[in-house]
Amino acid sequence: MDLNVCIVGAAGDGVKEAGELAAELFAHFGYSVFVYQEYQSIIRGGHNASIVRMSDREINSHRKYFDLLICLEDYAYELYKPHLRGDLIYDTKFKCGGIGIPMTEIIKEEQEPNIFRNAASLGALTAYLDIEFEILAGIFSDRFGERAKDDITIAKAAYEYYRSRYDPKMKLKKIGRRKKLVSGAVAIAEGLISAGLTHFYAYPMTPASPILHHLIKKREIVAYQPESEIAAVGMAIGSAYAGKRSATGTSGGGFALMAESISLAGMAEIPLLVIEAQRTSPSTGMATYHGQEDLYFAMHPAHGEFPMAVGCPYSVEDAFYLSAELMNIAWKYQIPAILLTDKNLVESYKTAEIERTNLIEEIEIVDSSEGEYRRYEITENGISKYAIPPAIVKANSNEHDEFGITTDDASVRTQMHEKRMLKENLLREDIRDRAWKFFLRGKDTVVTWGSTFGPVYEVAEELGYSVAVPRYLRPFIKPGLDQAIVVEQNYTGQLAKLLEMHGVEVRKVNKWDGRPFTPDELRELLGG
Amino acid sequence: MKSKIEWCPGCGNFGVLKAFRRVIERLESDGVERGRIVSVAGIGCHGRMPDYLDIPTFHTIHGRVLPLMTGIKLANPELLVSGFSGDGDALNEGMEHFVHAAKRNTDVALFLHNNQVFGLTTGQFTATTPRGKKTRTTPAGNPEWPINPALIALVSGATFIARGFAGNVSQLSDLMYGAIRHRGFAFVEILQPCITFNNTWDHYRENVYVAEPAESFDEAVKLVSDEMATGLLFRTEKQTFEETLLSSLKVPKKVVKRI
Ligand SMILES: Cc1ncc(C[n+]2csc(CCOP(=O)(O)OP(=O)(O)O)c2C)c(N)n1
Ligand code: SF4
Repeated sequence: MDLNVCIVGAAGDGVKEAGELAAELFAHFGYSVFVYQEYQSIIRGGHNASIVRMSDREINSHRKYFDLLICLEDYAYELYKPHLRGDLIYDTKFKCGGIGIPMTEIIKEEQEPNIFRNAASLGALTAYLDIEFEILAGIFSDRFGERAKDDITIAKAAYEYYRSRYDPKMKLKKIGRRKKLVSGAVAIAEGLISAGLTHFYAYPMTPASPILHHLIKKREIVAYQPESEIAAVGMAIGSAYAGKRSATGTSGGGFALMAESISLAGMAEIPLLVIEAQRTSPSTGMATYHGQEDLYFAMHPAHGEFPMAVGCPYSVEDAFYLSAELMNIAWKYQIPAILLTDKNLVESYKTAEIERTNLIEEIEIVDSSEGEYRRYEITENGISKYAIPPAIVKANSNEHDEFGITTDDASVRTQMHEKRMLKENLLREDIRDRAWKFFLRGKDTVVTWGSTFGPVYEVAEELGYSVAVPRYLRPFIKPGLDQAIVVEQNYTGQLAKLLEMHGVEVRKVNKWDGRPFTPDELRELLGG
Repeated sequence: MKSKIEWCPGCGNFGVLKAFRRVIERLESDGVERGRIVSVAGIGCHGRMPDYLDIPTFHTIHGRVLPLMTGIKLANPELLVSGFSGDGDALNEGMEHFVHAAKRNTDVALFLHNNQVFGLTTGQFTATTPRGKKTRTTPAGNPEWPINPALIALVSGATFIARGFAGNVSQLSDLMYGAIRHRGFAFVEILQPCITFNNTWDHYRENVYVAEPAESFDEAVKLVSDEMATGLLFRTEKQTFEETLLSSLKVPKKVVKRI
């Protein structure tokens, strides 16, 4: 069983929410669900789509062609119609062939605003799949509590209308226990909390904003929106200096503004975690669309040489674990760590088991003001003991001696710079056996990164390829491969080039239209 | 931890350092642990302050003193957080942070070394350089009107506004102490002669005077506008950023004991 349902309408029609609730409905029956949200940078109007795919096997992608299209606006219908390979449910306020439901009439009767058509569309979907109405009602109640009454009334009217005119098209059977739905953003936020996050500062930027929206609701976290990305990263550095696990999150443009402070964290050896959620670039690009164009930028975001970690999660589940890993790495090595992710991962929802547990790797911290403290003591492995006030700890963006006092002395500079750089070697050994994930056993290997793993894995399984994905891009560990097909969402083949530099012969498969790869497209590109 | 002081002989910064060392002593005799007096500094000649102070410090990058101070205070409200900034540092590169820190009334104290010039980069004009003044980058005279930093602090919402003079160490020290003790965003503009690029010693010695604090905001606007007025110029009480933000959260919050 594999069903790909697309709900389209205008911004303001509640399409995104309808998608999430449809996903809850499928998850209730134990299916694996993946939701891709496509929307424009427009608050009202335009066209939005929520593509909800469910399957009885594990999935991490949506499909290109729709088995069912639920359409709330005629112009959106024209846009999405080319991908329809099944049934159509539409609001009879506009004319076209298919399963017509008078959604506008229903909401008018109930005197509710236009946005309630999303409830009507869910009522129709429930009838289409021959699901008992009570299950949908329960899902509304879970989400909206008391306020669910109006949604339930409207959904019920649409459900009854469907049942009076049409037959159900299939019968959805329960195949397992109800699954939980998680977005990439929530997985990242929860991963960070598991590794001890207490302070989060971010300036809104799509697609990173949902992480801030999630954390700001937590009463045990200090989360705040300051005046700019520069302020956000500065505050994160300040909080880390004072001993709190902190982070900031943004997309490419905001990350560019943070560059100078990432270099500061490198010099001052402050643990800093930055989330970089890529979208189409350069510059403002297409603000709400997907891309993987910032690999080199994230690997070398700032001036000067300093050790750094860059991790890139390949699934919603991995986003949870990798966020925690990177937070621990930042603290263990006192370095900047970047979680490089992408729009399709952060804003998509999927059924995933994520249990918030304590994943903190504690480090020793000096916090006594006795005596003078050598914050930057030269040690064999490059790691000096972390210290926080009230220890007399002196952090410095200038080159400094072991106490943190500014210096231009050639030999101190030589030793201090070497001390810092040593840490990258330690880190390299630390991550060596978790830097790559290998899946399947097949003829050739397809290499990809980030959320593109989802469609790649699915097609590789069908066509008999192996798959390899890097979880760490810096330090970069060369995979044991001579040849690879590299699939990524940029024009130049950034990961491909990186592999070439390490002696891997590559074939590139690229796409840069702002839309994530679907298995359907990849099947054609990798078919041969 | 002895470092050689690298300022030009005769620099106003010596007065600021002397005044702040007295503040530390005074706080210590009040019973404040030295390790709880934390200072951040920006980039510029003023940025050398941390090297000469025996307290926890962070010498950050140009213009970014205030975000760091805010992050430190939010992480540990028990610390007494102050910062040193130049006119270039706070008002050119860091202006957005300055206005916003005042607006939120974050509980920190900012000491602005106003020498009306970029010192460390050898004499270019800044946001406070007088109009018409010839500098390295304004050879025909500064075409811009200068900013009055204390006035910006006032209208942005700072709750403690003072002006000191590097040549009056005991007054300056009292103002800095008061600023650190103040609950909310405290701003002390320090008239700081740069002997090398903008020697204002005589001008300030002849013209500065000690004013009485203004009674109302409107009066304060007038008083603060007079750039030779020194002393505590205006003080008011408002809930601080940390109090407001942290009170809605379930995070450990210990309030600093103030004397
Ligand atoms: C981002 C950035 N731009 C420029 C500089 C170069 N720079 C160093 S100090 C300074 C000006 C300092 O002036 P001010 O803040 O007034 O301090 P002063 O030296 O007068 O104490 C500048 C522009 C820098 N360090 N960083
Ligand atoms: S250049 Fe000016 S501000 Fe800098 S140390 Fe010399 S006198 Fe002081």
